[in-house]
Amino acid sequence: MIFNSNKNSRFEGGGLILFQNVEEAIRAEKVLKSVNYETRLVAPPPELRKGCDLALEINIVEMTGVERLLHQKETSFVAILPIKGAGELLDVVKIKDFDDACMVKAGNMKLTFDKKTGVISNISGGGCPDIPFLHISMLDKKLTEVERPKDKGYTLCALMLDRAFTESLEIWQRGNK
Amino acid sequence: MLLICGTVPLIDLGLTIGEAKFDGEKLFINNCEIPCTQGTAALISAACVTAAYCKTSTPRVAVAGDNGSGKGSRLLYDYLIANLASVSPNIVLLHYILPVMGLMKKVCAAAGKCSVKPVMIADASSMYAAKAAGLAPEFDIFTPDLCEMAFLADATAVHPAYISHHLFSSEIAQAQELITAAYKQKSAAKTLLIKGATDLVVEDSKILCTISEPNIPALEAIGGTGDTISGMIGAFIGSGMSHREAVIAAAKANRKAGAYARATPATKIRQIVAALPASLKDVTI
Repeated sequence: MIFNSNKNSRFEGGGLILFQNVEEAIRAEKVLKSVNYETRLVAPPPELRKGCDLALEINIVEMTGVERLLHQKETSFVAILPIKGAGELLDVVKIKDFDDACMVKAGNMKLTFDKKTGVISNISGGGCPDIPFLHISMLDKKLTEVERPKDKGYTLCALMLDRAFTESLEIWQRGNK
Repeated sequence: MLLICGTVPLIDLGLTIGEAKFDGEKLFINNCEIPCTQGTAALISAACVTAAYCKTSTPRVAVAGDNGSGKGSRLLYDYLIANLASVSPNIVLLHYILPVMGLMKKVCAAAGKCSVKPVMIADASSMYAAKAAGLAPEFDIFTPDLCEMAFLADATAVHPAYISHHLFSSEIAQAQELITAAYKQKSAAKTLLIKGATDLVVEDSKILCTISEPNIPALEAIGGTGDTISGMIGAFIGSGMSHREAVIAAAKANRKAGAYARATPATKIRQIVAALPASLKDVTI
């Protein structure tokens, strides 16, 4: 979300929202601009086209906040994709076992929890501005008692933290059945 | 002068510029207390401790509150674009700022207008923005971990969330392949410190040395241990060290601090920062 942004035809956001029809695209632009997200209506490249021939370019890093806002405003869209690359979010996780703790890595984010109590003992990695906020709100709390990072964060780092969180919760719940 | 720029988790904090003051426990900028969490606060705290140890001037910082919405990040971009040339710091250290490719290009252009081009260091999301915008060669130092190294090696990824699965699966043994790919496509800074179980010091695609002792596996879990390294690097360069000396010293001091703090996966970054004065005394170049 960029505040007081100048309209700039050279805006490079790296991400596209695809729609079924032009009306959806226009409505989404209005919704996002109302809270100062920087956007640009563009024609999607043929290889990404899934619905109509109008798409909305966004800063792909802001995908988590954009997707949440569109859902809250009941604004339909087909998909949010990066303009370049495979287009698939990294879904692989790695687990590292410490004696009393378990660390789950998802992309650039790592969440560590105490195996006995399920308390989140650390969050590391990442680099987007919502991560220190999420760090403060989740640290030293039980996995079962915190909000999902993707419900509070705005960025792709928050989405990766959400992936590490859901995997951690699953591991914790599986171990306590 | 070392200028550090980044956001902090104080949502109502506007653009705040001044000398950083760290008393060993609390961090203040213009009498505003900043919580010593992972992120830019940990970086500034480590830079203050290192500058004091090196008997050099306290870092100057520009911070703004941001919860991920980008509001504070925009204030920082605007400040840098408008003022970098007149401030003309010797070193610019960019940290937690929402990646916006177009604005990062303007920041680099502003740096080019300084009387002497500053040493440019980027970590965290500023490194993501620099790479995604094709500006990595403009930077002197990046400090990626292995996942972020895979991101630098992935020609199309604009954020580590989109790196190819096979690159994410890379282990330290494949680091040279990632390094070669990143330099080939101009996605790497001149010097890299790749942080991991073994830290790798890289210049122009060659691994110059490795640091693996003391081996403190818990450091990987502790949020902010990469931030403290970046802060120390900035302060060491401010004291006159070469880039290579600075990254080696910072990597060693961070490990030593982990040992002094008897780090566990539950250790907090403020405990690592508290151990830095002792660890810095142990580090020799």
